[in-house]
Amino acid sequence: MSRIPVTILTGFLGAGKTTLLNRILTEKHGLRIAVIENEFGEVGIDHELVVKTDEELFEMNNGCICCTVRGDLIRILGNLLKRRDKFDHILVETTGLADPGPVVQTFFVDEDIREKTFVNGVVTVVDAHHISRHMEDTHEAEEQIAFADVILLNKCDLVPTEKLDGLEKILREVNALATIHRTTRAEIDIAKVLEVGGFNLDRATELNPHFLEPDAHHHHHSDISSVGIEAEGDCDGKKLNDWISKLVQEQGQDIFRMKGVFAVKNQADRVVFQGVHMLIDAASGGPWAGRPRKNSLVFIGRKLDREALNKGFRACLA
Amino acid sequence: MKNLGTFAAEDHILHLAWSPDGARLLATPASGSILVAGQEGEILETLPGHGMGNGESAWFQDAPVTCGFDGKVRLVGREWNPGRGLIERVKTSPDGKFLAAAQGKSLHILDQEGNESLSLRDLETSVVDFAWNPSRSREVAIAGAGGATLWRLGQKKPFARFDWGGASLRVGWSPDGRWLATGDQTPSVHIYDIPRDHPLHIQGFESKVQALAFSSESKQLATAGSAVVTVWPMTGKKGPDGATPIQIDGCESAAQALDFSSKGLLAIGDGAGTLLVITFEKGQFRRKRSKLESGISALAWHPSQPILAIGHEDGQVMLLALE
Repeated sequence: MSRIPVTILTGFLGAGKTTLLNRILTEKHGLRIAVIENEFGEVGIDHELVVKTDEELFEMNNGCICCTVRGDLIRILGNLLKRRDKFDHILVETTGLADPGPVVQTFFVDEDIREKTFVNGVVTVVDAHHISRHMEDTHEAEEQIAFADVILLNKCDLVPTEKLDGLEKILREVNALATIHRTTRAEIDIAKVLEVGGFNLDRATELNPHFLEPDAHHHHHSDISSVGIEAEGDCDGKKLNDWISKLVQEQGQDIFRMKGVFAVKNQADRVVFQGVHMLIDAASGGPWAGRPRKNSLVFIGRKLDREALNKGFRACLA
Repeated sequence: MKNLGTFAAEDHILHLAWSPDGARLLATPASGSILVAGQEGEILETLPGHGMGNGESAWFQDAPVTCGFDGKVRLVGREWNPGRGLIERVKTSPDGKFLAAAQGKSLHILDQEGNESLSLRDLETSVVDFAWNPSRSREVAIAGAGGATLWRLGQKKPFARFDWGGASLRVGWSPDGRWLATGDQTPSVHIYDIPRDHPLHIQGFESKVQALAFSSESKQLATAGSAVVTVWPMTGKKGPDGATPIQIDGCESAAQALDFSSKGLLAIGDGAGTLLVITFEKGQFRRKRSKLESGISALAWHPSQPILAIGHEDGQVMLLALE
């Protein structure tokens, strides 16, 4: 049975999530999409394919952030997955102040849901006019950006182009992996929102951590950032496994997302991995197909120590 | 066993409920029309569904009550929209005087005159499940993130709370009112001896515990967290504390539905279509095993006769009479 793709939609209140949702629900894209909506704002959506729910956090393991999941999602998805008439896609909208972590973790932790669905990507809608203030005032805005596979820099009509360039640079410093689209009234090809494949290891290709090099000319105010590592040569599989295990045990709460493509000694194929906090998935990434064997690794998180991460990884080289 | 009749709903059967007099069976599928059938499977009434998904239905004032993802409760001749968000289940108090609907952080309570003044709103956590005290109709247990709370209608604070920090999925109250049990996501079972204020935590289940059932005399508690159903003795001063439970095997996949009859028979259904009917005698059990065509998702014994309603994942409902 094929698993149903799930897109997680985040963004601050007023950023344009509802506008985007309305587009997704009304445009003729041929997909039957169920929407699970957490935002009970002034502008609610009344639609037969929308179910409204209160966000409900379940702590699975004494308050550990990595083991916190969304109980309401588990039950709603459980019911939707029982239906004979399955949906093509499920979209989960979080509240403006939500940490996307527990939503993503729900799809990793609950066995039934993991078996029948997969997270296709996290899409974050950003209000270009107000994002600087949101990032200064709250940590949620930055975390939503940090988790994203796709960022819609929305309301671009309200901001001059040169300022948009600066905003995009700030977003990239927080999350260098996300694809950024500039939009007005959330106008975008729906495929760019739904067909992301951000958590799909089968679709993992070469990462390009080059653009993650620190920018000497820009002072970064946030403690959330991206760190990219690239190294030629094969890794020692055991050392790599031990290092990543230790890293997520010690710093998992501060690591929002990580992705990697590795050349492991005695393994002909690429090894791809991705993680959210302490939860990690790894798989064979298929043959190198003529590309040079090298290791690429990206972390997005809080208080990341670039030097220590580099040193730790290089110690894993065979 | 004799097949009295079958009927089909449009989708996976989510819940089955006999009317208090046992004359009608309410079959709620995951989506689509909700059916009222007679004892031989004849369809008596077809009720509209609730959009993307139905919640668990109930009987109130001798009529079916339905709810669902559209946030509505449908009673005879009226639609009740108590708040915002989906409604996962409605349940009637044992004396039939109150109907409760769980919706987000509220437990809406309706009396026979249509008043909602006893509703519990703005609770600390969402109501994942709730159970009326079978021995005292004005008491209700609410389970959610962090444990369970016990409430007396009309009071603004719970009279007891069990904080264990995890996540409960199901709550059951023993017919004698002594025990409260929760089936948990973790996966485990919490049991509370309410008069002694004594909690027990039972671990070791293979998966989250989505089904539990007390026997009608409160002597046993059956829990399903794998293909093996565990039945705990609930008698004596300490109940299951330190006791050896009965382990019932015979399922081919995880048990999904459990129900005790008024005579103490335990019915178990699994996702592979295995039906077990268990008879207990002097600490031992006898097992009658049948293999049905589709996964079993809901079970409900008739309130007074040896008739078992079996709901399937493919939408079929079968009525079996035990000889």
